[in-house]
Amino acid sequence: MSFIQPLAIQQSLRLFRHELRRGELTIIFLAIVLAVATVFSLTSFSAQIKTALVDESSSFIGADRVLQTSRVLPKEIIDYSQRLQLNMAQQVLMASMVFAHDEMQLVSLRAVSALYPLKGQLLIKQGENNIHALHAPPRGEVWLAKKLFQSLAVKLQDNIEIGDAYFTITGIIEQIPDASFSVFTSGPSVIINIADLEKTKLIQPASRVTYKYLFAGKPENIDKFEKWLTPQLNDTQRWYDIKSSQSQLASALNRAEKFLSLASLLGIILAAVAVAVAARRYGQRHQSSVAVFKAMGASRQYIKQVYLFHWFILVTLSLLTGLIIGYVIQLIGLWAMADYLSTSSQTFSFYSLFAAVFTGIICALAFAFEPLQTLIRTSPLKVIRENDSPINRYSLLKQIPALAALFILLWFFSQDLYTSMVLFFGGIVVITLLLLLARLAMLFSKQVGSQAGQALQLALANLRRRANENSVQLVSFTIAIKLLLLLLVIKSELINDWQAQLPDNTANRFLINISPEQVNHLKHFIVENKLAASKAYPVVPGRLVAINEEKIQRKVTKENEDKSNQGRQGIGRELNLTWQKKLPIKNQIIAGEWWQENTDKFLVSVEEKLAKRLAIKIGDKLTFQLGADIFTVTVANLRKVNWQSLQPNFYMIFSPNVLAEFPATYIASLYIPAEKEQQFRLFLSQYPTITLLDVDAMLRQLRTVISQVSLAIEFILVLVVLAGSLVLVAQVQATMDERQRELAILRTLGAKGRLLRNSILYEFLALGALAGLLASLAMEVSLYFLQTQLFEMSPRFHGEFWLIAIASGSVFVGFMGMLSCWKLINKTALYHQI
Amino acid sequence: MVEELANSINKNIVLQVNHVTKQVKLDDKSLTILHGIDLEVNKGETLAIVGSSGSGKTTLLSLLAGLDLPSSGEIFLKQQPLHLFDEEQRSQVRAKYVGFIFQQFLLINSLTALENIMVPAELAQIKQARSLALKLLADVGLSERGDHFPSQLSGGEQQRVAIARAFITQPDILFADEPTGNLDSKTGEHITDLLFQLNQQFGTTLVLVTHDQKLAQRCQRIIEMDSGNLMRDSAINHLTSNLA
Repeated sequence: MSFIQPLAIQQSLRLFRHELRRGELTIIFLAIVLAVATVFSLTSFSAQIKTALVDESSSFIGADRVLQTSRVLPKEIIDYSQRLQLNMAQQVLMASMVFAHDEMQLVSLRAVSALYPLKGQLLIKQGENNIHALHAPPRGEVWLAKKLFQSLAVKLQDNIEIGDAYFTITGIIEQIPDASFSVFTSGPSVIINIADLEKTKLIQPASRVTYKYLFAGKPENIDKFEKWLTPQLNDTQRWYDIKSSQSQLASALNRAEKFLSLASLLGIILAAVAVAVAARRYGQRHQSSVAVFKAMGASRQYIKQVYLFHWFILVTLSLLTGLIIGYVIQLIGLWAMADYLSTSSQTFSFYSLFAAVFTGIICALAFAFEPLQTLIRTSPLKVIRENDSPINRYSLLKQIPALAALFILLWFFSQDLYTSMVLFFGGIVVITLLLLLARLAMLFSKQVGSQAGQALQLALANLRRRANENSVQLVSFTIAIKLLLLLLVIKSELINDWQAQLPDNTANRFLINISPEQVNHLKHFIVENKLAASKAYPVVPGRLVAINEEKIQRKVTKENEDKSNQGRQGIGRELNLTWQKKLPIKNQIIAGEWWQENTDKFLVSVEEKLAKRLAIKIGDKLTFQLGADIFTVTVANLRKVNWQSLQPNFYMIFSPNVLAEFPATYIASLYIPAEKEQQFRLFLSQYPTITLLDVDAMLRQLRTVISQVSLAIEFILVLVVLAGSLVLVAQVQATMDERQRELAILRTLGAKGRLLRNSILYEFLALGALAGLLASLAMEVSLYFLQTQLFEMSPRFHGEFWLIAIASGSVFVGFMGMLSCWKLINKTALYHQI
Repeated sequence: MVEELANSINKNIVLQVNHVTKQVKLDDKSLTILHGIDLEVNKGETLAIVGSSGSGKTTLLSLLAGLDLPSSGEIFLKQQPLHLFDEEQRSQVRAKYVGFIFQQFLLINSLTALENIMVPAELAQIKQARSLALKLLADVGLSERGDHFPSQLSGGEQQRVAIARAFITQPDILFADEPTGNLDSKTGEHITDLLFQLNQQFGTTLVLVTHDQKLAQRCQRIIEMDSGNLMRDSAINHLTSNLA
């Protein structure tokens, strides 16, 4: 392009100024503004929510990342973490006996370094109303779990003996951030300083010790460290963050993150579609002006300069406005959620800025390419022949830049080629099918039309006559409604799913080591106080020694234990075995069959993941050792276990008569509401041998995080709804010129205002309802794939959303259509005066 | 070659049409809209092309003005062979010599009345476009409406703006397509008066297509078209035969 002429710039600015003031550029302006604002606020907001959530929930593991290992880490790993300025804390965990006077107790000992915990709070009570968040205890001091004060008969400032060393008790443990959720931990917690570990002489060559190295620091440094470290890890080392910790929280966070990404992606697609529709309209609107310019002798070069510069100012202004609005939306969002996001968030990110500008430019270039090209090529002959309009001729080839742009956006935001291809080509197939369906529906309207009233007949006749444009319009409506529905359904199902996992009466206490004679007392207590509780499961510790007579000692060892997760620690050497007549709730048979209640066969039900890991099949013979006894059972079925349910869960469940002769203790979970707390404590004080595991604090934290995620999701949904609405408005606007002409003709022919109004209303209502119906269909199909593939949820049919889609589709499209045409209906009267 | 052709034409002839035909493709068939038209228009002449709908008069006008190309034959406008020119060259010819008035007025909706009038002058790079436009606006009696947009003007006012726009470059030839077609008879008369008044004032050659007999009668010469043929030329007062 040669150097731009000042005259062309002047003409551009003149057109732009007037058009902007007269509202002729509003839709395209809003479309680009929304695309940019959506991308800016979504990327930065969802990134910040993710960071804040992960940051906050990282307190559940006490760090950003944890390296768990059975041996001391080589020095170079620690050195490298220091070079990256990462904070590091160390924990050594083991089971040990502690002694006080004549009492002794098996405890879970944690020797921690000075910085522990890096995230979250270690709450220590050091006197009445004197609870502080502390790090490691000073050397020579020890902090004990509350229960130990009773069982060891000690008080603060007393001395206890751990291994070969003596410690002074200076605190009561109120909360350990990374406490194990496992109900089978080996005893109440005891915390000492790691520097004191050596003098206890507890670590011997054969000791079973777990080392946890906790790391925290700037995300980029953590990532760098992770990239460097993970290739060096061996099977006995496990590197995890909160999201890979496989806890209930991790699952919620992972799903929320996927949802936020998906919502952002769909929001961006909707905004891009709005830009595409509006750009086409922009091209069409300016055609007659270009024809006049050309008839007056304007060269193509001049037209090119005028309109490219016009477009350039429009895009620049929209981009800047979009960035400002996006920034404000994000600030409002962060402000609204300030109470939930305790971590102070960075309010500006260059990535978001880049992503927003990139999206704006891609949309502005690619979606405007074809309409602008056609506009510049407008024939001057159009001044004489109105219908000499090449823009109405669709060609797939011309759509390549727009399609390529959409693909680039998908790829850029999903960072995943496979997902982008699936969404892109899936989208093309869906759109083609929708177009066909839309055409069919238009044809069908002919049958209905012949029996309808005057206004409805006119509406249906209009629908058919504009079948081509209406099909395109219908498909846009459908896509917008479908994407909104999709997010709405996933949102409500995600939140329902989380809430279903944590109903109000979720067990907040586990009781372990209940003796058989105590079980009835417990049952009595539960009935008397009307408590929600699981049944009491018998537990016998045993060891799996062979599969099909092949010894597997080495298979179920450290390696498996280290690869297991926090919630399932302790299954390695000894498994907690139980027996049941019936399949426990929240367990599901996925292969084989559950046994008859009165079976006398020696059968076992195996948890599916363990079965997979050990290559256990139905019919295999498993040999167990319980103390000195060895027996063999047949695998009757494989079982899917919901590890996230707060109830006792087991890897191995035997048929009733296998273990009946072995001495067992019982385990149960129950929900103790606040008002029953005192009775519960009183009850427990009668049975000091029962171990209590309190998960109430953890549940509260979990609920807080989930409510934050839910709020974030709703906020993003609002943005996506805005983008969807703009698509609808842009699409309605796109047919305004033709409608204007038609209305003028109908008016001239004497059609009454009411007839025109009703026919327009019916036309849009029908379009909206049809779009709602098609959208529901498309949503159901997409949802099936998303829920099964992405969110790992069970798919189901969503009848209620079909009704919502059809009703809201027709109301919204009808309303928007009427609103856009209102001026036209009244304006057509002017044509009489000409 | 272009120069040779140009020199061979009488300088007094503004428009010369030799054996022009126009065919269009409709589905698979070829339809002939104009059959071998021959026509000469002299400088300062006023010419009305009349005929029933579909007789080909608007098609002829679009060819004469260089908006479209003939299928065969020659068209010279101010000695410029339009039939040999591409779109860009024809644009230049239009900018330099041609003015337009349309039935639909065709003002640019997002420009004010004044700015609409300025467009051709700016395209022809006339420096005092604004002052000229203001003067013409006054000439057509719309001094007070310069800041108004087309949608704020009545049909008659819009056509007056269009007339001012057509004359601002003092074109050698002005083409008008049914200039009163969208106006009531009273407004139509006003517009006709204005058109001829300015035409006289600037000495412009006027070629107009119309159904309006009154308007046609005011021209020095009337040619009648029927089914793509030039049937009668009132000035030379004899029937031309179809040569095609």
